[in-house]
Amino acid sequence: MNVKFLNPFTEAAAKVLEAECGLAVNKGQLSLQKSALTAEEVTVLISLVGQVEGIVLYGMNIPTALALVSRVMDQEFSEFDDLAKSGVAELGNVITGQATIKLSQAGYESQISPPTLIEGKNVEISTLDFQRIVVPLATEVGTVTVHLGLRESRS
Amino acid sequence: MNVKFLNPFVDAAYDIIKAETGFELQRGQLGLEKNAYVTEDLTVIISLVGAVEGNVFYSMSKSTALQLVSSILGQEINEMDPLMQSGIAELGNVITGNASIKLANSGYESNISPPTLLVGKGATIYTLDIARVVVPLFSESLELKIHLALREGIRKGASAASMAIPPAPKI
Repeated sequence: MNVKFLNPFTEAAAKVLEAECGLAVNKGQLSLQKSALTAEEVTVLISLVGQVEGIVLYGMNIPTALALVSRVMDQEFSEFDDLAKSGVAELGNVITGQATIKLSQAGYESQISPPTLIEGKNVEISTLDFQRIVVPLATEVGTVTVHLGLRESRS
Repeated sequence: MNVKFLNPFVDAAYDIIKAETGFELQRGQLGLEKNAYVTEDLTVIISLVGAVEGNVFYSMSKSTALQLVSSILGQEINEMDPLMQSGIAELGNVITGNASIKLANSGYESNISPPTLLVGKGATIYTLDIARVVVPLFSESLELKIHLALREGIRKGASAASMAIPPAPKI
């Protein structure tokens, strides 16, 4: 994967988590993964279509998801209900949307799909022939792991 | 969901599975699901972006997937190895691509994302505010379900995701 696609996502995630949740983000060690990933408790999946195409995944555990939405909506969430799910998915949507603006400023136009939320640890998510760059973003309420399986479009 | 988005997918799935594998599928009872989808053995996820947007899932059991891929490749496949996974994802890709051409012919241009494959039962997938239409397609030995969570694209003007982040409220 093209590493220049990475920074827009980490920057957007840091900016959005700071503005929406008041959280400082520490970027952890990058890694490159080829194999299928084992899902975390909560995974937000968003696809990109356009000059950059592929899949972006945001993985986290339920306590982290609850802490994030509690901060976004300024209301305590103790159960991972529909509103909380919608909040987490929207956070993924906003981060990805902001990242695509940065990508288009760098000359890569793309559009993003509506988010899908996967709950459950007992599945594997495979991006097939896409290698994934994995960036853990540590915050005081837990880690959000960003997986980027992106490439320049061939068409 | 707009039901006119449905037929292109059913047609495409029937045509492509018949052409690639020789299986002639029948269509079962349609359903509209508001609840989350609990995964089967294998799920192919593909997104659409454009005048139609949303997500399409193709879900099936391991035995259906093995039969489909074995017929496509013309060799017996007994395990969910990377070749088999790639074959199933590609089948979803071809069906969705073909359906999106049919949609474009009726005035709804869209682009499709690369496929993602979910392997494993029992996870829950939420399409959030988009309801899901489910169409089972089956033959004697196969059953595959198409889940469509699609809507007319709403990103004509500025999209919500490209809005600046508003400041925190005072209250």
